[in-house]
Amino acid sequence: MTATQTPPTAPAAPSLDPKPSSKKPGGIRRIGLFDGVTIAIGLALVAIVVIPLLRVLIGLFWVDGQFTIDPIVRTFAIPDLGELLINTLIVVGGSSLAAAVIGVLLAWLNERTNARMGVVGDALPLLPFLLPPVAGAVGWTMLLSPRAGLLNSWFRDFVSLFGIELETGPFDINSWYGLIMVFTFYAVPFVYMNAAASLRNFDTSLEEASRLSGAGAIRTLVKVTLPAIAPGIGAGLLLCIWFGFGMFSIPSIIGTPAGIDVISVRIVQLLTFTYPPETDIAVGLSGFVVLFVGLAYMMQARILRKGRFATMTGKGSRSAVTDLGAWKWPLRILMLVYVAGSTLLPMFALVIVSLNGYWTPNIGWDSLSLDALRIAVLDDFITRQALANSLGLGLAGGLIGIVAAALVSLYVARNRTAFARGLDVGIKMPAAISNMVIAVGILLLLASPPFNLSGTLIILLIGYLALYLPQASIAADAAVSGVGKELPEASSVSGASPSRTFFRIYLPLMVPGLVAGWALLFIRMVGDLTASAILAGTGNPVVGFRILEVFNGGSYALLAALSTVLVLITATVLVLVMVYARRKSRFGITTKVG
Amino acid sequence: MPSTTAVHDDTTSRAVPGADGATPSVRVEGLRKRFRREDGSEVLAINDVTFDVAPGEFIVLLGPSGCGKTTLLRTIAGLETPDEGVIEIGGRTAFASQRGIAQPPERRGISMIFQSYALWPHMTVFKNIAYPLTSRKGLRLSRADIETRVRTALAQVGIPELEGQYPSQMSGGQQQRVALARALVSNDDLILFDEPLSNVDAKVREQLRLELVSMQRKLGFSALFVTHDQTEAMELATRIAVVDSGRIAQFGTPQEIYSAPATRYVARFIGAINEIEGVVSAVESDHVVLDTPHGRVVSRDTSAGLLVGEGAVALWRPERGHLDTEEPNTVNRWRVTVDAAMFVGSHTEYLVRSGDMSARLWSPRFEDVASGSSSWASVSPADVRVLPITDGEGGPAVTGSIGTTGYSA
Repeated sequence: MTATQTPPTAPAAPSLDPKPSSKKPGGIRRIGLFDGVTIAIGLALVAIVVIPLLRVLIGLFWVDGQFTIDPIVRTFAIPDLGELLINTLIVVGGSSLAAAVIGVLLAWLNERTNARMGVVGDALPLLPFLLPPVAGAVGWTMLLSPRAGLLNSWFRDFVSLFGIELETGPFDINSWYGLIMVFTFYAVPFVYMNAAASLRNFDTSLEEASRLSGAGAIRTLVKVTLPAIAPGIGAGLLLCIWFGFGMFSIPSIIGTPAGIDVISVRIVQLLTFTYPPETDIAVGLSGFVVLFVGLAYMMQARILRKGRFATMTGKGSRSAVTDLGAWKWPLRILMLVYVAGSTLLPMFALVIVSLNGYWTPNIGWDSLSLDALRIAVLDDFITRQALANSLGLGLAGGLIGIVAAALVSLYVARNRTAFARGLDVGIKMPAAISNMVIAVGILLLLASPPFNLSGTLIILLIGYLALYLPQASIAADAAVSGVGKELPEASSVSGASPSRTFFRIYLPLMVPGLVAGWALLFIRMVGDLTASAILAGTGNPVVGFRILEVFNGGSYALLAALSTVLVLITATVLVLVMVYARRKSRFGITTKVG
Repeated sequence: MPSTTAVHDDTTSRAVPGADGATPSVRVEGLRKRFRREDGSEVLAINDVTFDVAPGEFIVLLGPSGCGKTTLLRTIAGLETPDEGVIEIGGRTAFASQRGIAQPPERRGISMIFQSYALWPHMTVFKNIAYPLTSRKGLRLSRADIETRVRTALAQVGIPELEGQYPSQMSGGQQQRVALARALVSNDDLILFDEPLSNVDAKVREQLRLELVSMQRKLGFSALFVTHDQTEAMELATRIAVVDSGRIAQFGTPQEIYSAPATRYVARFIGAINEIEGVVSAVESDHVVLDTPHGRVVSRDTSAGLLVGEGAVALWRPERGHLDTEEPNTVNRWRVTVDAAMFVGSHTEYLVRSGDMSARLWSPRFEDVASGSSSWASVSPADVRVLPITDGEGGPAVTGSIGTTGYSA
């Protein structure tokens, strides 16, 4: 038996002098430079969001160098302010609620029942990317316009077989229900994605326990499943509200002809279609948008704080599936009809009208040709210029956005300091502020002296970057977190310098995620109408702006042709990136689009 | 390689077991690292840690999760920066808070095996293993040299046929071997292991453990191995450092740790143990006597330097106890009731009780003792360890044992 222990401490001995080489802080200094550049980029990104926002908020109280509440007074003096607010609330509220019901139902069917279909789950979140809202709004107009709408016409032909003759209708896209319907189509993916993720992470044994306690399938859904995924639904609803208040293209194309004015459309009118621009009132109305989105945020935070909701096990263990019995196929068909109806139908209308050359329900199936498309798009100088500008801005803006966001994400992941966290919050902040408000702020700030950037591509680039920064940041975060901590650490321990670790480990592993992020930004920027309506002009036309211009006084065939080209571009990029992501996934690197 | 010319004259005076003046592979002195919790309070993840690793030693850092052993390993790798102290690797200062030296990991010339293996998914096995050879500064190897060394490493870990595969195409055990080959390929004097065997299943784990030991003894590198598994620690280590709340509670050979635990924490963490608390009533040159609620306990262990009147605890291992039907001729004996007898193959475990004291006894023979029957439990004074009762030794002061797996040294 050993009676004495080995002393855990060795007597202190004079330290050995380090070899000269170990004193050179080579690696450390290089990180310093790397981080310095990153910090500068991060601060610039935050600045292009924060300063315009401040400009808007200050603009409410400070005009021409002095304190005033004039903008607020004048905003409240808008004759139809009440109607404007109520209209906006009806459209946003109505579409959000409808989206919540449809989105949760689709998510439940697709995650928890035997009616699940991979196609639906994959396709639903992609709708806004395949068919940018501006193109979707045009497509639905082509389908459901009272006289020339394709669906209306076909419906009239059908009922005439039974001796019922109709001159117009029966549906009218330019109506409350038409407007709310198209809003809803674009809001559903927000709810669906959040609800589906919650359901996937939800421990099914909770449902099983409920069934064993004697509750039926429906009662279990209402009493157990829905409350458990409430935070997911709440997050989805919040996104719907944020999206609704900032949405400009749909209400402008569908609501305005129906005489339904909403805040976002009015702001653009005051800024760009009024001379001189009524900046003060536009700022005042932006204040309402900030207020409403802020309220939605507070409600969401309160819901989250109230209950101990998110106590779900990490993985959806075995996902027990509810057997729907005879309902399986009818519900499946309903899902397919929904996806096809919301996406393929308007796309089809756009393609048909643009190939036909003019908008008529009587399609000459033999005379469809690309001529109309060519004449409308390529032979028109402004359209060509707009296309070139949009593509260039999408390529460059997407690249700048994703690379900058990746640098910041990397920095934040490696430096868990308060400053890094602040940078992260700042770069994701536009997600909490309405797009419309940021665009207004950028116009106010940069279009006037000393910058005088009005009518330039630079102001559009800044606007796009500011608006779509959160998406870039979230995509970059996913790419960085996919690399994890140990892979780069293993590289350092293997003797690789920080720059070698970056180029050999981080970059190759992040590229698939960054490519997906780039595609996302590209599609958003090319299909943007919010910033484009405010910041673009005849001097710097882009596709979204051109579509609006054509809508306000051009041919419908040209409108359809432009929208078709937009859909073709975004769909091509989307498909290419998805194919690329699938090929990369053999390394076990996961990439997500959307 | 450690530079022998840099060794200071009086390094020979250092108590480095088995090293006889050779530069230690690792020397850690007065290391401290603080972490800030979410609520703002500070935790000492590493609290004044000092130890040496002699060349060729296999040191296991053993402790429960959250005790700071992984943080300690990561500070030696350079992946975390300590607040205070000195770290020398192969005689060169890698970290010294007072002199402002903090070498980045890539300058430390060590290898490390991560818990998740950390194989780069976009590189083949060959490229993964070749990476340290192509990354190290001042290591200019020809293509042929690199190939030879990668193939040698692959052969050493027994997977020469996998060099063209990607990590995602391999099993956990194979990935583990690739990680090992990547650590071996640069012939570093020190390899760090961060719980590398916790992700493979039990059979593979045992196999890899045996291979690892024979490989380490053959190649002669120093190893620092973090684990929470005491069986693993016993099997692998030449010396074990038991880590408790950021401190090294005991540093010694597996035999020392097992038979002469320095603290109650160590005794409870390694193997099963019986405890009786009492007060010292006599201290002689060759024995100590404790008065306890369960009678006098005599021990031959006088190492604790206790004085009469001090509180102390007597500890002994279950396999050192005896169970007899006749009253034994030993000073430490108790009339007990047998609560349960459990045959576990290599031995039989008896749960016995005397008043409110319960104990475990292991006997190599199986005797069919009926539950509830009366018997005699005893332990020789030579097998009883006596330690002072100190504050801050977590856990309820149960009389009995902690730890579920017994380990016979």
